Amino acid sequence: MSSNTPSSSAGGVGSADSAAPRRNSKRPKYSKFTQQELPACKPILTPRWVISAFMLVSIVFIPIGVVSLFASRDVVEIVDRYETACVPDNFRNDKVSFIQNETTNKICTRNLTVPKRMKQPIYVYYQLDNFYQNHRRYVKSRSDSQLKDNSSWDDVSSCKPEDNANGMPIVPCGLIAWSLFNDTYNFSLNNQQLAVNKRGISWKSDRDSKFGSDVFPRNFQNGLLIGGKRLDPNVSLSEQEDLIVWMRTAALPTFRKLYGKIERDLQPNEVIQVTLENNYNTYSFNGKKRLVLSTTSWLGGKNDFLGIAYLTVGGLCFFLALSFTIVYLVKPRRLGDPSYLSWNRNPGGH
Amino acid sequence: MDSKTPIENLYSIEPALSSSSRRSNFSSKSKSLGGNSIREVNFVDLGPKPVKYGSRGAESETYSMSQREINDEDARLVQINDPVKTNERFEFAGNSIRTGKYSILTFLPRNLFEQFHRVAYVYFLVIAVLNQLPQLAVFGRFASILPLAFVLLVTAVKDAYEDYRRHRADNIENNRPASVLVNHEFQQKKWKDIQVGEIIKIHANETIPCDMVLLSTCDPTGVAYVQTINLDGESNLKTRYAKQETLLKIPEKENVSGVIKCEKPNRNIYGFQANMEVDGKRVSLGPSNIILRGCELKNTTWAVGVAVYAGRETKAMLNNSGAPSKRSRLETHMNLEIIFLSLFLTALCTVVSVCAAVWLRRHRDELDYLPFYRRKDFSEDEEENYNYYGWGLEILFTFLMSVIVFQIMIPISLYISMELVRVGQAYFMIRDTQMYDEASNSRFQCRALNINEDLGQIKYIFSDKTGTLTENKMEFQCASIWGVDYNGGKVSSQDQKDGYFVQVDGKVLRPKMVVKTDPELLQFARSGKETKEGSHIHDFFLALAACNTIVPLIVDTPDPTLKLIDYQGESPDEQALVYAAAAYGFMLIERTSGHIVIDIQGERQRFNVLGLHEFDSDRKRMSVILGLPNKSVKAFVKGADTTMFSVIDRSSNTSIIRATEAHLHSYSSIGLRTLVIGMRELSTSEFEEWHSAFEVASTALMGRASLLRKVASNVESNLCILGASGIEDKLQGGVPEAIESLRTAGIKVWVLTGDKQETAISIGYSSKLLTNKMTQIIVNNNSKESCRKSLEDAIIMSKKLTTMSGTTNDTGRTLGAASLTPVALIIDGTSLVYILDSELEERLFELASNCSVVLCCRVAPLQKAGIVALVKKRTSDMTLAIGDGANDVSMIQMADVGVGISGQEGRQAVMASDFAMGQFRFLVTLLLVHGHWNYQRMGYMILYNFYRNAVFVLVLFWYVLFTCFTLTTAINEWSSVLYSVIYTSVPTIVVGILDKDLSRRTLLKYPQLYGAGHREECYNKTLFWITMIDTVWQSAVVFYIPLLAYWRSTIDASSIGDLWTLAVVILVNLHLAMDVIRWNWITHAAIWGSIIATFICVIIIDAVPTLVGYWAIFHIARTGLFWLCLLAIIVTALIPRFVVKVLYQFYTPCDVQIAREAEKFQAEIQSAAVEVEMNPILDHPRP
Repeated sequence: MSSNTPSSSAGGVGSADSAAPRRNSKRPKYSKFTQQELPACKPILTPRWVISAFMLVSIVFIPIGVVSLFASRDVVEIVDRYETACVPDNFRNDKVSFIQNETTNKICTRNLTVPKRMKQPIYVYYQLDNFYQNHRRYVKSRSDSQLKDNSSWDDVSSCKPEDNANGMPIVPCGLIAWSLFNDTYNFSLNNQQLAVNKRGISWKSDRDSKFGSDVFPRNFQNGLLIGGKRLDPNVSLSEQEDLIVWMRTAALPTFRKLYGKIERDLQPNEVIQVTLENNYNTYSFNGKKRLVLSTTSWLGGKNDFLGIAYLTVGGLCFFLALSFTIVYLVKPRRLGDPSYLSWNRNPGGH
Repeated sequence: MDSKTPIENLYSIEPALSSSSRRSNFSSKSKSLGGNSIREVNFVDLGPKPVKYGSRGAESETYSMSQREINDEDARLVQINDPVKTNERFEFAGNSIRTGKYSILTFLPRNLFEQFHRVAYVYFLVIAVLNQLPQLAVFGRFASILPLAFVLLVTAVKDAYEDYRRHRADNIENNRPASVLVNHEFQQKKWKDIQVGEIIKIHANETIPCDMVLLSTCDPTGVAYVQTINLDGESNLKTRYAKQETLLKIPEKENVSGVIKCEKPNRNIYGFQANMEVDGKRVSLGPSNIILRGCELKNTTWAVGVAVYAGRETKAMLNNSGAPSKRSRLETHMNLEIIFLSLFLTALCTVVSVCAAVWLRRHRDELDYLPFYRRKDFSEDEEENYNYYGWGLEILFTFLMSVIVFQIMIPISLYISMELVRVGQAYFMIRDTQMYDEASNSRFQCRALNINEDLGQIKYIFSDKTGTLTENKMEFQCASIWGVDYNGGKVSSQDQKDGYFVQVDGKVLRPKMVVKTDPELLQFARSGKETKEGSHIHDFFLALAACNTIVPLIVDTPDPTLKLIDYQGESPDEQALVYAAAAYGFMLIERTSGHIVIDIQGERQRFNVLGLHEFDSDRKRMSVILGLPNKSVKAFVKGADTTMFSVIDRSSNTSIIRATEAHLHSYSSIGLRTLVIGMRELSTSEFEEWHSAFEVASTALMGRASLLRKVASNVESNLCILGASGIEDKLQGGVPEAIESLRTAGIKVWVLTGDKQETAISIGYSSKLLTNKMTQIIVNNNSKESCRKSLEDAIIMSKKLTTMSGTTNDTGRTLGAASLTPVALIIDGTSLVYILDSELEERLFELASNCSVVLCCRVAPLQKAGIVALVKKRTSDMTLAIGDGANDVSMIQMADVGVGISGQEGRQAVMASDFAMGQFRFLVTLLLVHGHWNYQRMGYMILYNFYRNAVFVLVLFWYVLFTCFTLTTAINEWSSVLYSVIYTSVPTIVVGILDKDLSRRTLLKYPQLYGAGHREECYNKTLFWITMIDTVWQSAVVFYIPLLAYWRSTIDASSIGDLWTLAVVILVNLHLAMDVIRWNWITHAAIWGSIIATFICVIIIDAVPTLVGYWAIFHIARTGLFWLCLLAIIVTALIPRFVVKVLYQFYTPCDVQIAREAEKFQAEIQSAAVEVEMNPILDHPRP
């Protein structure tokens, strides 16, 4: 249709000659940009494209799924839930009073059998369930400036309700530090002490920049209510690795924290004797405690989910690719065929 | 005489004229200078009214304005040349202007106040304030204010810059010099120091500093010419007059004093009413006695006036207001969905607070000692509850906090993005070379910035005819004089090529426009008035040359021997008539308020203008009373045939009247505009009677206008018919094609015109609006009852026609358009009087919706608006009105979208419009191309923004379910603030401005594609809900894949938060990428750039040691799990959308989709397209 040819109407005799000498024409400058004609790629979902996209996804995903599943299967994990088992029978009905009682014997011995060969390093974790380290009140109750710098040791405004004890600021303040996990584990194999390396379990970046080497615990766990572990006031915070690990609050209510590393291989059917001190009170909120020994793979710990997910998605895409191929073969449509346009399709006009 | 200015050039020719005309000219000059008593009587209050002629309506407005009389309370008194006394009560503004809104001190409060007029900002503010309460502090103080502050700051900087520029412009303006009379001497003064009451002298080409009443000019008759281009954009010269009483006073020498009583300042630039008392005489002043600020004095050496309105009270400043604001249809729909979203938001918050309440209830006994809750605070001496306010308040706080956390569910940023996108779209519309009009050198204009997308959904177009469909460049075609039709003009001789000219002193004076002439008529005209035909022809052309308000201007040409006469006037019809008269040897040379000079066949003659009755829309005619050189007095009248035949003396010359009527009919049936010209010779007694009545009427203080009208109708009676003229109003280029395209696009085009039925129908045919296949239904009645009857008959008939075609349709399988008998409705203004605003409206609408074409003729401006309202009220379809004249203003404002044609007839339509352009045919580009694009872009953008924000909110929501419902966010607060500001904002704006679903060529080739907008294909409820379901799925994938992958791991909140942030951002950007149709480098840069920017921002945030998430991204990005999660999330989240999209596009493709494919695989398709186009031709003869 010629309705848009750029030729403008001659415009009458009078104005034609008056327009000619006009110097400042307002005609917009032509450029591909202003005319919205920049070179562009116009992808269209053609059957070939769609099928190859699905095939590509399945080709990428299925191997990844298989590899991650194998990686996850290779990880050897020993999990021992002990919070109930470590309470003497007579206290089973009132676990809270057991744990709060200072006089009861908290020592508990567990035997773990190694199912498969575990290559070093073997990571020792404790796992808590139902502990909301991501609770809003909890995560806010800390003072990063105090942890970093000795000079702001009295900056405890954000640490309520664990900000002051006996009228003095607490270092480190806040609920997180106060509730520091305080169960301890001792491992022995064949009556021989199994060394647990507790160095380097926290992030280096935290040790270097977040926790000051000149900040020492002060007035800690001196309040009426003892939350957890006490800290050695002579060791600077940057070396209190348990604290540093604990302070990196977990994202989810079921979480593991690194306790230490065993730097030797364990052979199948070896029995590890764990002497643990069951100090930490999870009974008041029905929290579970587990001790975990695990090797790692390139993918992290034992978790089949990702492998299964990749296999499922890959398989689904393969299935989709197949079914689309069949569908296209059975009922094809010529792309861009104008006879499909609505006004050509039903000549009735509506 | 020096000949520097054109106006004096005019005089400089005079000595060389033939002796008789020179004599009369000189004698008249001496008379007027000498203050001859008779002439003075003649001059008193004569014609200083500019007369507009034509079918336009501005004059009626002006007219009604001047009818208003001034009450004492509504008046302002200006003491001429006595500013001290005038201003002693300090009630009048000085002349300094301040268009700047703010000063340095008031900027902050006023600007903030204005910005918070937006509800969205108030919502922002309330949320930010809530967040400042310590109990509710979800985000840090700074982070929570940042988005609002950012938006406010950007707007404030923009406003400040604009204001600064305004201040600078004001400053320049205020310091311009003007010569003001101080102590009998004109001194230079700055504009800002001018006061009301002062006398100011303006020289040629100077800008007028304030609104002034003219006192005297260089012209002995007191004429001044002004150009009002700055005021209303009209470039032709307007004539303004000084009053006779003040004309001869020389302010430097004698003391000019007097009082002007005028209206309070108002914004009507076409109206002014005042009285002036000078030397004990009372003179009335009208709009033609005032020159307005901003105009330029042209062709006048100097003019002296007294300031009556100054500074901000001038009409120019009062008219300085922005374009009207309308709200787009899409935005109205969107508001409904925003309500859905706020309900959804409320639901989410309720879920969270109820769950939180249940959790608190179940753990109420443990709360005191829970390590992660610890209600009791032991640090003080007495045990207190820490940060716990009891049940009710805890729930309330949870609710409010969740509102704060989920706030971006309501996409505030959408409003800002939409504005930016519209600015971008407007930029491209303005820059479109295909909407540039060469003839008027005008670009497309976007005056309203918030209805761009409405252009894609127009269902009805209401178009004016004259100047819109036609060029409004009138061309004299033929005349019927004394019952003889002269319409030859086919013979083109050498003589005709150059047209008529006058030779003076070796110089040639020629009209600027050449009109083709009828050789026979030319012969008669030259033969003089001796013969009977000759005298009638003489009178006829004299009437054409005299009965108007045209100002002749003499223009130099490069050839020194040739000068052109340019006829300047406000009505193109009049221009055409004067050019025609000139071509036949009746050349208008000079016009002042008191006389006109016409060169008749080389003989210069002078006529005294004794009185002028201006055109008004009731009488539809104008008349001029001329004192002829032979001392007889004649009244020449011209007007529309309907009103003229009622005042023509029918007793004599019946055969001539009948012949003229027949000619008129044939003229109008070929689409010409017709005017009837009549004449009456006034006897001395009749003249005396008229003169005294006119005198009384024009000096009357009360009801002057109606008195004048009465006087006019007295003199305009018993006319002797002279003949009629036919003027062609040429169709604009491309109009028929444009109308066809628009109709194919499914848009109904209605034409509303002031023309006669026959003219309207013939234009309808030539513009392809009407075709021979159509059945015409004509409604043309004079009473309500007959209207009702004809409407009912018409409905039955139209139904019959459509159902009949329906049956052939089923059997015949022919193309719809061919078999349907289309019905055209033609209705006239008189019938509309009875139909509009009565119960018949419903009938008319029913009838009109059965018709494919509606043509309304003889409609008044308000009826035009009434018709638009008729449709607008009854349907939800979008309406567009397009027009060029003042009479279209009401229609343009009534319609959803108003388009003004910046053409011949002034600028009022443009001022009232939302969009303005040079030609009707640009409407096709505007609607089918830009409208389609804008609609598609905006529709997608709104949906995408809803999705984008909701997906983020839902990710936050899912996490809340795993934190004891306490509104912890794993995602860093800075990231949530930056999410809609940096991470995802640019691509959607870029896509909203630049994406094109189809190329311009395709859209113009298949106008039917415009139907996508009618069917609301890009934005509707179904799409909204589908998008929302998709949103829930995508957010669940984003959240749960990392959750399950990291369950029972050592992952900390910040690291998984970073994963979620990146996953959401990449996902929404790829989601957009999947829907982008055209990838150019800007789109690439925006989408990939945003993803990269997000990575950079996350890294920067995690490099701040005081934040909890210090170094988290580096730790997590080192693990393979992170990248695998990211990949899995993106693929899994997009699969359902992709599958649905593929299935939909392949099996139920919409037209746009097919056209897009066709565009891509053009080569193969072209052969097929030919086949399809053949089909209708082959099918046609079958039934």
